[in-house]
Amino acid sequence: MRKYIPVYTIAFIVLLSFQATGLKAQKPEGTIRYLRTQNWAKMMASVDYISKQQRERSMYMWGTRSEWKTYTHLHLNADESKYENSEEEAEPGSEGWSNRKETFFMKRNFKDNTLYDGITLLGKTYLIHDSIVPPKWKIMNDMKEVAGHICMNASLNDTLRKQNTIVWFALDMPVSAGPDRFFGLPGVILEVDVNNGALILTADKIDLAPVTTELDVPAKIKGKKITMTEYDKLIENQIKERKAAEEPWFWGISY
Amino acid sequence: MKFKLFLPSLLLALMSYFVQAQNPTRVSIKGTLQDTLHEAIPFATVMLLNNADSSLVNFLSSNDKGEFAFNNVKNSTYLLKVQHMSFLPVQKLLQPSATILNNLSVVTMKPISTMLMEVVIRAAKAPLRIKGDTVEYDASTFKVPPGSTVEDLLRRLPGIDVDADGNISTQGKDVTRMYVDGKTFFGDDPKSVTKNLGAEAISKVQVYNEKSEQSKLTGVDDGSQEKTMNLELKEEFKKGAFGKASLAGGTEDRWAARANYNRFNDKSQLSFIGYGNNINQTGVNWEDYGEFKGNNAFNNFDNGDFGFNRNGGHMFYFSSDDSPVSNYDGKGLTENYGAGTNFNFDNKKTKFNASYFYNQTQLDFDQKSYQKTYLDGENAFEQYDSLVNDDFRSSHSIATRFEQEFDSSNKLIVKANFRYSLNNNNKINNQQFSDYTLEPYNSLKLDNTTDLAASKITSAAIYRHLFKKKGRSFAISGGYNSNTNDGTENYNSINKFFEATTPTEQIQQMINTGKNVNELKSSVLYTEPLSKKIFLEFFYNFSQLTNKSNRQAYPFGNELRIDSLSSYYDQVTMYNRLGSVLRYSYNGLNASVGFAMQQLKLTGLYSLDEGLPWYNENVTKDYPNFTPNLNVNYEFKNNMRLDLAYSNDISAPDFNDLQPVKNLSNPSYQVIGNPDLIPENAHNVEFGVHYWNPSSFSSIGVNVNYGITKNPIVYSQSSHFDPKTGMITTSTPENMEQGTNMGSWLWSSMPIIKTKLTIDINGGANMSNRPTRINDTLNDIKSQNYNLGSNLNYTASSKLILSVGGSGGFSKIRYNKSEMNNQDYFNYVIRSSIKWQFIDRMFFESNFNYSVFKNESFNFDQSIPLWNASVRRIMGKKNKFETRLAVFDIFNQNVNINQYAFNNIVGTSKTNTLARYFMLSITYNMKGFENKIQKNRFM
Repeated sequence: MRKYIPVYTIAFIVLLSFQATGLKAQKPEGTIRYLRTQNWAKMMASVDYISKQQRERSMYMWGTRSEWKTYTHLHLNADESKYENSEEEAEPGSEGWSNRKETFFMKRNFKDNTLYDGITLLGKTYLIHDSIVPPKWKIMNDMKEVAGHICMNASLNDTLRKQNTIVWFALDMPVSAGPDRFFGLPGVILEVDVNNGALILTADKIDLAPVTTELDVPAKIKGKKITMTEYDKLIENQIKERKAAEEPWFWGISY
Repeated sequence: MKFKLFLPSLLLALMSYFVQAQNPTRVSIKGTLQDTLHEAIPFATVMLLNNADSSLVNFLSSNDKGEFAFNNVKNSTYLLKVQHMSFLPVQKLLQPSATILNNLSVVTMKPISTMLMEVVIRAAKAPLRIKGDTVEYDASTFKVPPGSTVEDLLRRLPGIDVDADGNISTQGKDVTRMYVDGKTFFGDDPKSVTKNLGAEAISKVQVYNEKSEQSKLTGVDDGSQEKTMNLELKEEFKKGAFGKASLAGGTEDRWAARANYNRFNDKSQLSFIGYGNNINQTGVNWEDYGEFKGNNAFNNFDNGDFGFNRNGGHMFYFSSDDSPVSNYDGKGLTENYGAGTNFNFDNKKTKFNASYFYNQTQLDFDQKSYQKTYLDGENAFEQYDSLVNDDFRSSHSIATRFEQEFDSSNKLIVKANFRYSLNNNNKINNQQFSDYTLEPYNSLKLDNTTDLAASKITSAAIYRHLFKKKGRSFAISGGYNSNTNDGTENYNSINKFFEATTPTEQIQQMINTGKNVNELKSSVLYTEPLSKKIFLEFFYNFSQLTNKSNRQAYPFGNELRIDSLSSYYDQVTMYNRLGSVLRYSYNGLNASVGFAMQQLKLTGLYSLDEGLPWYNENVTKDYPNFTPNLNVNYEFKNNMRLDLAYSNDISAPDFNDLQPVKNLSNPSYQVIGNPDLIPENAHNVEFGVHYWNPSSFSSIGVNVNYGITKNPIVYSQSSHFDPKTGMITTSTPENMEQGTNMGSWLWSSMPIIKTKLTIDINGGANMSNRPTRINDTLNDIKSQNYNLGSNLNYTASSKLILSVGGSGGFSKIRYNKSEMNNQDYFNYVIRSSIKWQFIDRMFFESNFNYSVFKNESFNFDQSIPLWNASVRRIMGKKNKFETRLAVFDIFNQNVNINQYAFNNIVGTSKTNTLARYFMLSITYNMKGFENKIQKNRFM
């Protein structure tokens, strides 16, 4: 006996419900929480100027137990987004010890095409005011679901940091926002995978509700004002120096 | 007329020329999306991609009429991609447009098999790849039991039906064709594949339509399509192996051999290691041991002793396994053998580790030492020792660890280690003593043999539970440790006197020793969050340590026990502690203040032998204490950290210190325990500042600590000259009133020239003040120790690294009652090294150390130049072989020097060790050697 599934009945119902969500999911507004997982051994494994044996060794010894989880937030509406770290602890049982919160926010205004970032780099705070230049995405063919949204994927090759990134963006959330440095796709980016799991950002909670003060950046922040090009230059110099010393470049720099 | 006709036709021709030859530089592309029923598709994502590399050029959403339009875009070859959750993606190649408006009119989208979308993507959370009309499943996301066939796997794939006979269908159509990696497998019947092939080998399952065989043959597309399935095979599991083997032989009969081999896949690691040598490598090095233990190398920190002060006070540890890492202390010559195997399993939820290690070391050394003992007033005496030591040790160790994470809030760790060891030792020591006038008076020859067998068990279990409320947790631990020793000691001493009138004295004894230590312990910890920043912790610790120790002494060759030297002890130490900690934790400030009530109960019974009546009454001494604790840690901006800690540690006296029975292994130096000892009570404060600059990679750290100990246990020395025996020293532990100690430490590293020249500096100063009873006079002994070291590291190029540096230590000992005996001694060493890759695959490495040891009051001055050099060459196709010619101690000057001071005793010793030898070695490395100098050691 062959199982018979009334395919078309289901199809019809599902089709209806999809179209319904598709219709109301115009320009989302709200807050997305991302689980940020950093894998130290995999970060090491992607540093090509460190000897292969050393990288393989750290992978062999640390590969399964070098993950660190934190939460981050992306607040967004039709025109703006702001990305920042969450106060909430993601690592189970890590309450009771608190590290200093460094200045970190990334603000994007898609209407004015401007960005405003406050980033702590190598112990110093930098304020970056600039216009938006979206990364050069390549669109790929896969589809999967992230946090209840059907996403398709795109890839990005960062020649400066030597990072290969795959992201998944939601087809039903047509805002070009995304976590961290990643944005500029037809939908909100809900998952990011940098260098095969060295850094993974996954949306695990999406609250769609009007945002008010969440998009504001702190009014008084001390820091050196620079442009995006100057910021990239700082990172480039640090990577160059660390490379000369054959040490990982990501100490003191967000991966 | 002709002209009239000519002009328009010319214009027409021109226009058509321009249109054909020169496309517009910018165009608009528009179209309308419709489904197969010609209904408009709104809110679809329409993307314009660069055809060459799929990079995103522009995107938009179709409007409610399904329309989309890209205005004023560069006219080139594009890939138009339309994506909608309910439709199969459409991809269209757009050639450069001849007209300003490139109207694609209607673009039709086929509805997706919604069941697939719903079931695969949503329910199974599996990425689904859709290329045209190929649907691809990721087999790894569908779990099947080991040993399952492909058929079992297919039954689990949503949207695929397998009937009782194994016939496969999808989307209502039978699958008639089956490929494996795109090739036909065992003929044409799909079932022959699905019933025979193991599911574990499959990475992807693809389903698509293929033209029928008929139409392929004829080349005429008859429109009939067959459902086809392709099974993509896995690339091998993530697995691999690495290993090294090396063999070396040299002058002076020096040799060394070692090998290690590791195999691993994504879940388990298996390793073997073995070594043998006579070049003083008594075990493996840390690097090899780390690789041997693999991902279990860092699991020795499991701490089941909850509450503050974990390392203070009581012997409250879950001891780690005795690692087979080389622990050669620089004395003598050794011959060593060892081998072990280790297995790790880790699937993130369950971690299991088991290892076995055997090692043995035969150690021989000759040691000459000189020692001066200062007594009250101006009295002192001297002693020259000549010691020949012959020592054999071996051990079998088994270590196991199991960790289970039941879910994100429940975790269990269980550890059990077993170790069986043997030790045979023979010491022949010729001692020569002076009298108070420093004239030689007598000589004592000791010939002592010890045979000892010991077995040790350490075990622990730790369970942790995290409650739903963040920050609330509970943990409980339990442990059992046991240590059993059995041994025989033979003492043989002859005391000869330089004045012939005094008769020679000889002692020959045999001692049977037996010792059994058992420890039971348990701890509980509960943490309650009072707010997001404030936590309250409660903990309870319990331990019971039972020590049964038996010593039975007999005259050599006689069964009549010497009662005065025989004893049996049964001692119990009970420890209970109940405490609480209040912790504040926010934005880089972590501060905690804690209090505990602790109780230490000591019971000690002793008799002549096991089973004989006790000498003393069964009295339990009770030491209740209230111990406070403080801990502050603050992180400033710019990577500066500050630590402040205060603790109060109460520690019970050591068992050996409590036993008031003489041990005549050395008749000239007798240690007698003191059953009246009470616990030490120490107050310690520690303060530290650390700064790290990640952009220049410079760092600096300073640490200062200060401690006051009430009732410190100090060994009182009493030396008396007796014409019949010569000098005899008795040493007995006693509680003094108060002692203090102070220590400081500094460490810094900074680049002088970025990435080229780095300087490291470290230094420290330690002072202690301990009242010590010397021949019944209470002396205040102040000892001070200063050390300073620095190293310059110069990276000239990627092929040449040089370093030069030095370090030195200076020690001062001050006696308040006999200042003329004050001591100053110092050691320093100057070091330099070179690593040079002088030709491709050829390396020269060398280091030179010059050490100086001085004590002016002894006229002791010894310097040792030690120079080692080696040349190595990497060979073979993949750099898999290395040959190395090394010379150790080119000047043949190596000797081990030790300067020491303890209470009123100051001395120096000189011990033979490995000196010059040449060695040729060959090493095979499965992974090949790096053809460059290793620069850093940060891992």
